[in-house]
Amino acid sequence: MTDFIALQTAIIKGKRDDVKAIVNAALEAKEDINALLDKGMIPAMREIGERFSRNEAYVPELLIAARAMQAGLAIIEPELAKSGRKSLGKIAIGTVKGDLHDIGKNLVAIMLKGAGYDVIDLGVNCDIAKFEDGVKQGAQIIACSSLLTTTMAYMKDIVTHFKDQGVKVIIGGAPVTKAFAEEIGANGFSDDANGAVKLVDGFLKA
Amino acid sequence: MTVTPCRNKWPGTLSDRERFTRQMHWQSVDRCFNMEFGYWNENFSMWDIFVDNGIKNNAEADVFFNFDRIANVGGNIWMSPGFTPKVIEERPNSLIKLDASGLIVEVPKDGHDTIPHYLGASIVTPEDWKREKELRFRRDDPARKVDVAAIRARHPATRDYPLGVYCGSMIGRIRDMLTFEGIAYALYDYPDMLEDMVETACALVEDYLDQVLGHIDFDYASGWEDICFKSGPIITLDFFNQVVVPRYRRIGKKLHQHGIDLWYTDCDGDVRPLLPGFLDAGINCLFPFEVNSCCHAGELLDLYAGQLRIMGGVDKMALGQGPNAIRAYLDSLAPYVARGGYIPFCDHRCPPNVKPADYLFYLDLKEKMFGMK
Repeated sequence: MTDFIALQTAIIKGKRDDVKAIVNAALEAKEDINALLDKGMIPAMREIGERFSRNEAYVPELLIAARAMQAGLAIIEPELAKSGRKSLGKIAIGTVKGDLHDIGKNLVAIMLKGAGYDVIDLGVNCDIAKFEDGVKQGAQIIACSSLLTTTMAYMKDIVTHFKDQGVKVIIGGAPVTKAFAEEIGANGFSDDANGAVKLVDGFLKA
Repeated sequence: MTVTPCRNKWPGTLSDRERFTRQMHWQSVDRCFNMEFGYWNENFSMWDIFVDNGIKNNAEADVFFNFDRIANVGGNIWMSPGFTPKVIEERPNSLIKLDASGLIVEVPKDGHDTIPHYLGASIVTPEDWKREKELRFRRDDPARKVDVAAIRARHPATRDYPLGVYCGSMIGRIRDMLTFEGIAYALYDYPDMLEDMVETACALVEDYLDQVLGHIDFDYASGWEDICFKSGPIITLDFFNQVVVPRYRRIGKKLHQHGIDLWYTDCDGDVRPLLPGFLDAGINCLFPFEVNSCCHAGELLDLYAGQLRIMGGVDKMALGQGPNAIRAYLDSLAPYVARGGYIPFCDHRCPPNVKPADYLFYLDLKEKMFGMK
């Protein structure tokens, strides 16, 4: 029987080989693969996210934990697809038009995936049409990122465009503030990657 | 090009050099040191005050606004030679390039001012590092020899402005070389390689300092890291404290031996977790102190009163919001200017969304509040 605490610890410490060994052993024993996710991987990523929010962990810890989880996930993904596991929800994420920065966007995408959501990564320099593609692929939430004071203004265009389409628009990025989010009518704002997960939880888990 | 200043230099009774040194040591001054960090490239084509007066770069802008003079000299203390930049691929709106740090980057074709989109690195593994270190990080490279006489001629001991010695970066340039994600993975995958990179950076700075300290009379030291973003450091605290801080200490010791007791580092983002390490090693000033990704400058000046100095810390977002916001922000900084150890200016290069009229209002108000009474 899988030791889920050991699996969580291996992910939090970024020990890819340990994660692979635990996951392979569970597969060989024909254990419930959903439990690997629900009791091991997702709680581990949520824990590292909480530590990140409390300034007890920083980006390197977050990235290696995500890498370790991905190593395990890659092994079980074919089985997960067959199991008919239902997604928690789908988010389309991108850096807005004129902006090529993707570090913050990537961190949010990593944390959302780690929390069990399906993430459509639209990349950088995304105009409204790109975000519309994400909605066509089933995204319930659009997550917009910007690093620059000069590009964050485009977020207002995105919010206005999707206003009555039944899609939530959440925003974040270095210069973005709660006041700015309120001013442009965004559905939500977060100032870090873990906060973005909580924001999405609020919309999709409610 | 000869630049005609658009305004008078703030009146004063001290030289710029005396004023800077005294202000940064909490001593009485005639008035606040008047400086700014500069402007985005776009400002030079978008702001009418620059376009109409032919101002094309930050050096010209400093003269145009008649700021106090401050200078800095640095040496060849990193990759030498760098990688040869070249275009690898042309996309509809961007170019994929190899840059001088060996990174594969995507940059916009229209040339607008932005940090590139990093796609990959030339140095990833210890084998890559061994190869490139032998080629590009030789301590005996003749190109690292400093022409001390030329610096002394350019910045004579009788100068009336402060002169800094650039002490480079112990980890920021390594981040540049490996990428944001690459350095995070290297911390776990190749810690020995990373420590050797830090040691190399430190040795190259020490070699440089050995050539100039004692021969040139510096007023301060400077450095650059940019190893934080709004969620804190991009390296682990253990690595910073155990590997990076001891190298800062070695450099700090050399500086102190030559009477240099003011050392700033340019590190954007939330630097608070690193600050105890900086102060412990002798880095006692933050520049340009980006507010939005960290906190109000006063918060740290209060917390580390008598130890920490700050240069910068005027929230660029307030500059973009117009006169009322500018006045309110400068009001919040006034007690710290009065206390000393703090020079207010825009907390990074001033972006083009700030209106020129508002910027001039800011400069005028700054003089009214912090100029000579």
